Amino acid sequence: MATDPDREDPVDLKTFQQGPTPFALFLMHGPGSPRTFLLTREEMVVGRSDAADIQVDTTDLSPWHLLLRREHGQYTVLDLDSPNGVYLNGLRIHSAVLHEGDNLQLGSVVLVFHEGRE
Amino acid sequence: MSWFVKFWGTRGSIPVPGPRSRKYGGNTPCVEIHASPDPALLICDGGTGLRELGLDLMRRRKGEPIRGHFLFSHTHWDHIQGFPFFIPAYQPQNEFLVYGTSPGDHRTFDLLSGQMRSEYFPVEFSELRARITPADLGGGQAVLDGFSVRCLDLRHPGCAFAFAFEREGKKVVYATDTELDLTPTDPGQPAPEPAAIRSLPGALVELARGADLLIGDGQYTDEEYLAHVGWGHSRATTLVDLAVAAGCRQLAVFHHDPMQSDRDVDRKIELCRERATRHGSKLLVFGAREGLELRIG
Repeated sequence: MATDPDREDPVDLKTFQQGPTPFALFLMHGPGSPRTFLLTREEMVVGRSDAADIQVDTTDLSPWHLLLRREHGQYTVLDLDSPNGVYLNGLRIHSAVLHEGDNLQLGSVVLVFHEGRE
Repeated sequence: MSWFVKFWGTRGSIPVPGPRSRKYGGNTPCVEIHASPDPALLICDGGTGLRELGLDLMRRRKGEPIRGHFLFSHTHWDHIQGFPFFIPAYQPQNEFLVYGTSPGDHRTFDLLSGQMRSEYFPVEFSELRARITPADLGGGQAVLDGFSVRCLDLRHPGCAFAFAFEREGKKVVYATDTELDLTPTDPGQPAPEPAAIRSLPGALVELARGADLLIGDGQYTDEEYLAHVGWGHSRATTLVDLAVAAGCRQLAVFHHDPMQSDRDVDRKIELCRERATRHGSKLLVFGAREGLELRIG
């Protein structure tokens, strides 16, 4: 197979050889950190409520703060009109498609997204 | 009442799908401006990102009629090639207006429809079932479904237009496909202080003045720009200077070069942030990426 020596970002062939890996949110800062939450469902809510799929018990979060939705092998984050907002890599957003290493800040809580593979 | 900006295509020149562009996206320019709960819809450019926007509109509106205003920066290929794949244009209940900038100016409409001649595409423009009509911004400004819109011509081969959108005290400026550097390589001029704000088009600075969000052409790094002077696009660091000079709050670096991988764009944005910091500015700089939506007001 021909290779391009100038190519800067070669695709890691290992990614084609491994099986599925789970999507996950890593709680880097906040009550209960460090902790990893596996994203196992198509829709999951992060919030303060004990009925939230991912509960982080701090008043910085709204009871229902954000929604994570999986579509076409990607997760999208949606701010559920939370007063403190959702910051993606420092930018306040309404919604966004998430990628490996994206940093979500909700008040003082910091979560890092890890991209899985279906 | 709220309004939003969403990026559907952020790449310049040509689509670049693939693993090197997963984060920022490979689709060519398309930006949606929409309100909620009223259904006001403005679409800036119709690059390949327009196809995804069309599919999303079909899901969101669930068969309800869609009315939208198309504002094209210009009609170079990468800004119109998504239109034939815009599914809402095929639905009879929908209505779209395609704007020129001066009274009676239907050139954009004519060129847009011209790309659907049978030589280029199997479906003729006349076969589209939505009501699609030419319109214009009168003397360069108009109010479209509650949005005040102003336009300004830009320096780009064949000309392009910037648009400023204002509603309820908030302002977004869309200014892509323009070469901001006015005298970048004149050997007769002394080299400017690298950290100083560069010379900028005054009218564009005024259009962008105080914007909550400036979406601008930041195609090249400084090094890349040296090989592309006169091509009609900007180095991202000069775009930072524009945003700082105009007192903008947030800057979306847009129209990424097709040769740039996600890592390249990350590096470009980091250089932009360093330049904003050196200017002593609190400007928030980010790379426009597909699927990103901001609440403006």
